[in-house]
Amino acid sequence: MKEVIAIIRPKKVEPTKDALEKLGFPSVTAVQVLGRGRQRGIAGEVSIDIRPELLAKGKSAGMKYIPKRLITIVVPDSEVDSVVSTIIKINQTAQIGDGKIFISSIDDAIRVRTNEEGESAIM
Amino acid sequence: MKMIRAIVRPEAADRVTEGLAEAGFFSLTKISVFGRGKQKGITVGTTHYDELPKTMIMVVVEDKSVDEVVKVVKYKAYTGNIGDGKIFVSTVDDAYTVRTGVKGL
Repeated sequence: MKEVIAIIRPKKVEPTKDALEKLGFPSVTAVQVLGRGRQRGIAGEVSIDIRPELLAKGKSAGMKYIPKRLITIVVPDSEVDSVVSTIIKINQTAQIGDGKIFISSIDDAIRVRTNEEGESAIM
Repeated sequence: MKMIRAIVRPEAADRVTEGLAEAGFFSLTKISVFGRGKQKGITVGTTHYDELPKTMIMVVVEDKSVDEVVKVVKYKAYTGNIGDGKIFVSTVDDAYTVRTGVKGL
């Protein structure tokens, strides 16, 4: 089992969830997070109007943090590639700030209600 | 690649992120969390606080940078009192940049 952690734009959560559901993975965990990437936070990143003088001031230093959504989904090893390519396809806007995807291993999963273990617990 | 999750005091979070930026680690994710440690929360007067607000800072770096990041976090989050936090290091198998679809950090 692999855990796919995707940090994406808040606006793209719904399309991503729909696409993952079509792929057969309706279960996700989403968390509101703040973060910044290699560009150290860009003031034009958020879709609110910022006063020009503030923007001019912020351009040099950048924003401290940018609001993002962190989506966690646990999938079987064989499905990692299709899930990653789906997330990438849905979230690409060709602009900086599309996000990152991290993949790490999960040793075991347990469904609390039925005590199922392993891959049957996540499907 | 390694993921470093540091659970620190909320007021120390900006110190930590600025310290990491100075050391060259600009990319990070910050999450507000609640938790308790070995001391089972704190008791102030007659009120017992079971879960305390903390900030989790998540950084993914190459293996060789782990020691440096941990050192910066330890130095910047330190107050010497109970509740300074914990640092967890785990393995990340792969990373992708969504905009380009390129593998790697």
